Amino acid sequence: MNTALLSLSAPLLAALWLLLTHRRQAPVVIVASLISLVAAVFSLYQVIDAGEQSLALGGWESPLGIRLRLMPVSAMLLTFTALIHSLVGLYAWRSRHSQTRHTDYWPLSCLLHAALAALWLSHDIFNWYVTLELLGLVAVVMVCLAGPKAYGAALRYLLLSLAASLCYLLGVALLYGVYGVLDVSLLAEAARADPSTRTALMLMTVGLMLKAALWPLHLWLPAAHSSAPTAVSALLSALVVKGPLFILWLLWSRVAPEELGQAAGPWLALAGVGALLVGGWSALRAPLIKLMVAYSTVAQLGYALLALGLMLHWRELSLDAALWLFVLAHGLAKVSMFLAAGEMQSTLGSRRLDSLKGATQTMPVAMFAFAVAGGSLIGLPPSGGFLAKWLLLLPLLQNPAHWPWALGVMLGTLISAAYVFRVVAISFDRARPTSPDFNPDRFAQWLSLLPALLVWGMALISEQLILWLTGATL
Amino acid sequence: MTEWLVDSGLGLALLLLAAATLYAPRLYTSVVFFMGFGLLMAIVWARLGAADLALAEAAIGAGLTGVLLMGALREHPPRTERAPRPRSLLWAALLPLAVLPLLVEAILPLSGGAQPLPAQVDAQLAYSGVSHPVTAVLLNFRSWDTLLELLVVLFALLGTRQLALSSRHPHPPWPLLLAWCRWLAPLAFLLGAYLLWRGAKAPGGAFQAGALWASAIVMLRLNGLLPTVSWRDWRLRLPALLGVTVFVLLAVATWLWGAGWLVWPPGAAKALILLVELAASVGIAITLALLVMGEDRELRP
Repeated sequence: MNTALLSLSAPLLAALWLLLTHRRQAPVVIVASLISLVAAVFSLYQVIDAGEQSLALGGWESPLGIRLRLMPVSAMLLTFTALIHSLVGLYAWRSRHSQTRHTDYWPLSCLLHAALAALWLSHDIFNWYVTLELLGLVAVVMVCLAGPKAYGAALRYLLLSLAASLCYLLGVALLYGVYGVLDVSLLAEAARADPSTRTALMLMTVGLMLKAALWPLHLWLPAAHSSAPTAVSALLSALVVKGPLFILWLLWSRVAPEELGQAAGPWLALAGVGALLVGGWSALRAPLIKLMVAYSTVAQLGYALLALGLMLHWRELSLDAALWLFVLAHGLAKVSMFLAAGEMQSTLGSRRLDSLKGATQTMPVAMFAFAVAGGSLIGLPPSGGFLAKWLLLLPLLQNPAHWPWALGVMLGTLISAAYVFRVVAISFDRARPTSPDFNPDRFAQWLSLLPALLVWGMALISEQLILWLTGATL
Repeated sequence: MTEWLVDSGLGLALLLLAAATLYAPRLYTSVVFFMGFGLLMAIVWARLGAADLALAEAAIGAGLTGVLLMGALREHPPRTERAPRPRSLLWAALLPLAVLPLLVEAILPLSGGAQPLPAQVDAQLAYSGVSHPVTAVLLNFRSWDTLLELLVVLFALLGTRQLALSSRHPHPPWPLLLAWCRWLAPLAFLLGAYLLWRGAKAPGGAFQAGALWASAIVMLRLNGLLPTVSWRDWRLRLPALLGVTVFVLLAVATWLWGAGWLVWPPGAAKALILLVELAASVGIAITLALLVMGEDRELRP
């Protein structure tokens, strides 16, 4: 548990150091991310060895104080967060096209890292509210780093995020009013299926869905994620939207009484299918490179929501593993895609998708990274995306009565294949290639390939991953 | 009966002020109504027995936010007068009507609910180092929440700095205002220090003291009695970051050399809480003042 807290405090201390000394030192940030990564890996090993751990902050037991809890899922997310932060930090430091090298990106990304770590470790519905506030604010600020053209999107993000926070807070107040406790484990013991609990869960779900940009409350995401600087887009898509999803998952799988979960499951799953279809269709029609990647985030979050909804409806615990595998695979693939897209659009000098003509020839490594990451989004074996989709499809295919859900997943896959292949097809159009304006940045392109390779490498440790994740839920 | 009348009158006035803020024909009127709303809200908190909240709401909700909105209005006057469209009015009426029954159904059973926590807080109060339950919860029982809340305030400041706004250049001060200000500002500092000290035993504490100090700083700056300081100057950055830094360092120190994360040693609890509160109120004061006034621009190279 102490290692997990070290993983939280390393970026926090680094951020304070950077702010106090008023320097924009990338190496400090990268070293802090690496320390955090090592600490998180240690905490992951501890959890796997010794099971769930918890720590009472301030020495006060849980109804009075705040109890942090380290579950296998949270340890894995802690590691994942530190990994993504180190990769993206390296990109923002070394890439020639990084728009954030000389801005306040460095302390802000450290603070984002700390806020996420605090969220993964927390097990208290009010403490989650505070971490959600932190997460929303820092995400909005980081979108603003792109300059005045992003202010509109950032403002819309801020307002919706605040509205969502208030919705969530009202739910917290109701739950506290009914049960008088805030700790998740204590709430789970006490929860009954009465009207107050139902309304509270509904309010919190609406707030969290708005924050996680789950369909149909996703409208702020495409503009905000596509107008942010490349490194920030990668962090937002890979990590920030997963925070509220984590809370939503714990809320419904731990706190909500079983009958409420069973009733809400199909609706959540339906929203998931909606996200797959609508988000995918919008990605297919998007005229800009980064807008397409952002819409694909909306679509891919649909899988996670579908897995959550069906898990609640059927109490099928293997779907939990599917949910978190989707999150990990999507995060890695999205980092790769955003970094590659950022490199391509600044080297080719246009944000439009049609400018990718001939990119397989002019920027082969970045295009390859894009395609490889796209393969995982489609779910081609043996990528991480395939693994998650396979876990999701298994219970769907075992029972013939579940065919509508299976059909939804298939249609979603078809659409994601369509939008990935659309980009690939344009890039193979070598007849009139867009010539890159100068010698491309090789290092950044290889760096964008790395997470894509990692996501395909997830297949090698798939058995371990599934065991850890299902162990978490048993 | 009278109490009931006062309470329902306050509730109704709150609703009316909220509607007036949203639908006033001019933005200026809206801002004035909003400040009135903040003041009334403070009275409502006081009626509900939450004196700490009332103090914070009066200082931040009505005072500093009001100055901020007025300043924004002066710098960016609206280009068009707004007229509420009938359709948006219809939505604004329909949505609450749809949600209201759900909320009423959810809230009604709460009146009889058992609340175990206040009793537990009272039982442990003797070991917390302070004798005011709110301060005990904020700085001992749930100090982690407070640490993160201080970070939220800091994030707000970092956010506004990204927008590269220029600092406000106040009008030349008015002699009477200057004279008043010379009296009021020291009084506000003194009152803030008193609130901070009282926080251990009675309503008050870091947020309230910080807000009062911030309003004194804003008042002095608006009258041109304080020099502008740039963020590049460490003498501005250090106090602005003081609260968070002290809190985080103490958390790490209690882990390394103490009994665990944020566990105050029994004898030193009161001293540590006062230290954190002092640092936090300095940080909050500077941060809130910077949020309202802006600093010298230096950001975009």
